[in-house]
Amino acid sequence: MSVSETDSEVSARLEFEQTQRSEGWKLLRGFLRDQRRNLIIGGLIGTSWAAFKVAIPQVTKLAINDGIEKNGPLLKWSLIIAGLGVLTGILSGFRRYVAFRESRWAETLLRERLFGHVLDLNIGYHDKAQTGQLMSRASSDLMQIQGFIVMIPITMSNVIQIVAVATILFITDPILAIVAMAPLPFVNFSARRFSNRIHPASLAVQAEQAQLANVVEESVAGVRVVKGFGAEQVQFDKLSKEADDIYAESMKAAKIRSNFMPAIDILPALGAVGVLGVGGHRVLSGQISIGDLVAFNVYLTLLVWPLRNVGMIIALGQRAASALVRIHEVLSTSSEIVDPPTARDLPSQNGKQLGAVKFDHVQFGYDAERPVLKNFNLEIAAGESIAIVGATASGKSTVARLLLRFYDTNSGHVFLDGVDVRKLKIRELRQQIGVVFEDTVLFNDSVKANISFAKPNAAQADLERAAKLAGAHEFILQLPNGYDTVIGERGFSLSGGQRQRIAIARAIISDPRVLVLDDATSAVDPSKEGEIRDAMRTVMSGRTTIVIAHRPGTIALASRVVFIDNQTVAAIGKHEELVATNARYREVLASMQEAKTETEKVAAK
Amino acid sequence: MWQAGGVSDEDRLSRAQARTILGRVFKMAAPFRKTMYIAFGCVMVTTATTLSGPVIVRYGIDAGIRARDFGALNLSVVLYLIVVSFTYVFGRLLFVFVNRTGESFLRLLRLAVFRQMQRQSMAFFDRNKAGVLVARMTADIESMSELVQWGLLQFLSAVLMLVFSIVVLLFLSWQLTIVALLVMPMLVFSSIKFQRDSNRAYLTVRERVGANLSALQEGITTVRVIQAYAQEDEVKRKFKISNRSLFAAHEKSVRVSTWYFALVEFSGVLASALMIGIGGWFAHRGTVTLGTVVAFVLLLSTLFDPVQQLSQLYNTVQSAGAALSKLFAILDAKPEVDEHHSAVDLPKTGELKVTDISFTYAGADSPALDGVSIKVGVGEKLALVGPTGAGKSTLAKLMARLYDPQSGTVEYGGVNLTLATMTSLRERIAVVPQEGFLFNGSIRDNLRIARADATDAEIEAAIAAIGATEHFAQFADGLDTEVRERGSRLSAGERQLVALARAALVDPAVLVLDEATSNLDPGTEAEVEHALERLMTGRTVIVVAHRLSTVQRADHIAVIVDAKVAEYGSHNELLARNGHYAELARAWQKSHAPS
Repeated sequence: MSVSETDSEVSARLEFEQTQRSEGWKLLRGFLRDQRRNLIIGGLIGTSWAAFKVAIPQVTKLAINDGIEKNGPLLKWSLIIAGLGVLTGILSGFRRYVAFRESRWAETLLRERLFGHVLDLNIGYHDKAQTGQLMSRASSDLMQIQGFIVMIPITMSNVIQIVAVATILFITDPILAIVAMAPLPFVNFSARRFSNRIHPASLAVQAEQAQLANVVEESVAGVRVVKGFGAEQVQFDKLSKEADDIYAESMKAAKIRSNFMPAIDILPALGAVGVLGVGGHRVLSGQISIGDLVAFNVYLTLLVWPLRNVGMIIALGQRAASALVRIHEVLSTSSEIVDPPTARDLPSQNGKQLGAVKFDHVQFGYDAERPVLKNFNLEIAAGESIAIVGATASGKSTVARLLLRFYDTNSGHVFLDGVDVRKLKIRELRQQIGVVFEDTVLFNDSVKANISFAKPNAAQADLERAAKLAGAHEFILQLPNGYDTVIGERGFSLSGGQRQRIAIARAIISDPRVLVLDDATSAVDPSKEGEIRDAMRTVMSGRTTIVIAHRPGTIALASRVVFIDNQTVAAIGKHEELVATNARYREVLASMQEAKTETEKVAAK
Repeated sequence: MWQAGGVSDEDRLSRAQARTILGRVFKMAAPFRKTMYIAFGCVMVTTATTLSGPVIVRYGIDAGIRARDFGALNLSVVLYLIVVSFTYVFGRLLFVFVNRTGESFLRLLRLAVFRQMQRQSMAFFDRNKAGVLVARMTADIESMSELVQWGLLQFLSAVLMLVFSIVVLLFLSWQLTIVALLVMPMLVFSSIKFQRDSNRAYLTVRERVGANLSALQEGITTVRVIQAYAQEDEVKRKFKISNRSLFAAHEKSVRVSTWYFALVEFSGVLASALMIGIGGWFAHRGTVTLGTVVAFVLLLSTLFDPVQQLSQLYNTVQSAGAALSKLFAILDAKPEVDEHHSAVDLPKTGELKVTDISFTYAGADSPALDGVSIKVGVGEKLALVGPTGAGKSTLAKLMARLYDPQSGTVEYGGVNLTLATMTSLRERIAVVPQEGFLFNGSIRDNLRIARADATDAEIEAAIAAIGATEHFAQFADGLDTEVRERGSRLSAGERQLVALARAALVDPAVLVLDEATSNLDPGTEAEVEHALERLMTGRTVIVVAHRLSTVQRADHIAVIVDAKVAEYGSHNELLARNGHYAELARAWQKSHAPS
């Protein structure tokens, strides 16, 4: 909050926060609506539980007065109390069950909704979002909300219990009731304050624990460095500091507990002292019976937990509200890339090759102020393969992203087989483009599931055909469980080149019209680059292919080179022609090759 | 408020193990034993005062109200008030001292385990997965902090409460005590069953929470692939399955607790009912007074609450015991590479001589090195090449004594490395690993890893020595630039430069390098090459090479195949031999053929 904030700004901000908060609650009400019936049932069960619970001391009082003092029928009273015990037992069990089940169900549904929504958001959103934050929306924020919902039915019965007990006490003896209950509001108050104070303190402890974990992680992961330089003491000193910090923060939290917990514990006892003193005198002066006095004490104990809980739910509610606001923020963000209202179909094959791509006067920037591509024009014929070459950050990869419609152009059009990509259903468009990303991302799943990712119900024959084309079939058969081997499981790991070939198989399994290979060789052992290139050459034949080349070796795979410079197409032609005619092309090529010159000199010998 | 800790069956401790662990804990707690005793004293006092409340109420009712004695009534009120204030004062002390004891213990445990971990040799880190070691220091120790903050206190007071309650009840009336304990078998039995069932349910929940979080994370981090292949719906469908199975696990665990809590609630009321019935009958016969029956009704909860608490604590105590036994296992592990008791400093310079060494990794079937001998003269450069897993990296590591050979010797200037002081060893021989590994902190901090006492001037000199002064001067904060998590702010090449500067700071006579297998960003690759060249000048160098350019710079090349030195000689000599090396060189050439 800046100091210079004017009054009107403050009120605007407060109003904004207020709207956010009410939007958050609206969200809660919205998804709880479907569970309303069960929550009400839970509340009713809780209410009847409270009623019986409150009745027990009354009955006990009657039993003492009538049964013991006046030699009445003891068995009858015992049976009545035991019967009430059965009822409260069953009801309290159900209250708990309903409360937890409903809160978990709400959490489950909300998590699915959140995950689904995040998956649908456009890539531009994901560029800015942090994984950790989205994860904490779907885990710790949802936990806060679940912790609040579980309290709803419980709180309903608690409130009723408090009201019922207070009423009974007042009817029995108003003066004694005031004496007995005088300290109790403080229980509620203290519980609320405690919950609010201990929360940041526990977060501080967790933060220190995380820092210690960092020191341990780096010491273990970097053990070669630590051992190699004998830096054990340096790391130990770091850890020792973090351990001291944890100790200090934990003791701060302990201090907060010691300030509240014993006080919360003795407050009801103070009421009991009052009841004994004042009540005792009132019994002696004949205003109430001994049974009343005992019942008062029992009722006091009945009030302690409900009051604590109500105090806690207020604090929980505040935290749940901020969690709801954060979740609402994600859910209310809508994707910028959506299907057109009336989608066109892609032309189907009528004896002619498909997969023609055209960029027409495209202008685009991740930040509209700073264009990455300007007046970008490019036509790729169906079945043709081109290599895109340019300096680092020249916009090479952007071309593929625009074709996939990860982003929309600022102006100009991108066409696939003559249809503007914005006029197509996103799903249909993307199914026609197979991509091998620069960083090979595979899923923690079987090889089979990874390859058939784009075509989940692919037959084994399709799978193997794709793997063979990508040059992956052979080594997959060598894996412990062949196609069923789970990637990333302990015991073995795939090499960079193997991962890449699986990614290539995944890209071609659904036989896309266009194949995009974003330099597939940078993470590969140099001696394996050749094998990857062979696989690429095979899958490219007869298919429109865009190779985004970061290394000289891959350029040769394409029939034409598109040279991007100054945010636009600087030259198109055969590699040899460009080398011969374009000085800037040679320069860019040289920078790509710099690291290789040594090796190539040797190789040329 | 209370999250039960889950214990898997293999983690469950036997009684003997539990006793040993308890003994060690007490021994470790020696430095703060006084705090511990004070804490224990506080627990005793608060338990006693809490329990005396109902006794005083009984006195007030019987001696005061029923006997119509105002003095006795007033006395009981005053006594009650005193007892309550004691509960409060000692309650506060209790929290402070119990936490101080527990947190001191955890702090000590953190330091001891980490120090012991650091003393271990490389073999230990090969055997234990990094994630497991980190978990020992974090999750395992943190799992005990719950116990320290609440559990220990609750546990102690529950046990004392139970014992005291029974004593007080017996003192009041042994007949009614028996009545009060009638429901106990049912409660104890169901508590034991509950802790078993809930433990099992909780383990399932924990496992599925983990799976669910992984699915969530995978979905978010791979969103580009998912969208590129238009598989959003399929991924959502799979997530839904994992999410629903998590819900089922939660539901199951709630169901387990449902009947238990119902039974607990019922048994409390049932005990009251029995007390009224049987106690009333005793009162009718005059065996006990009415006040005693009333006191028993009031005291019943102090008898039942502890049983309930203990059963809930059982799992937490069990999981803490399991964590402790794993931590003690680390404390007991003997480091394999350690300083000899009569170690001497290595000479300033000398020949590095490997004589007939053999080495097998723990758990491996075949040796990684089998009778290898090799010599590197002062200032000579040796390149180690060979297929993956043939033993070249192992040889390099043994030459820096990251491991000790099982047979044979590694000598520097005539001194066996196993007889050298660790300090002199690290000063003479520096290891630069494949990837530039960075620690949290600034670039300067990262250099000090190599020599904690280095001055700023020495650090700048080291950077200058590898010719990287200008590069790091480009950064706004220069050498004080924070590298962020694992150096994520720096490029791979820059990280490698920092790693090389570290070695320059040590200024060792021997440099052991593991060359990166993958390519660096073209921009800094040249700079790294240059820095490496400067660093190697005038030093004895052993390099695990993956590139032709590196191999060419070496004086000698050793080709390691199947744990043995298969070929040894210069580049040209080995090419002429047309053996393993010539084949390897051809493969390198092919992959870099110009387009």
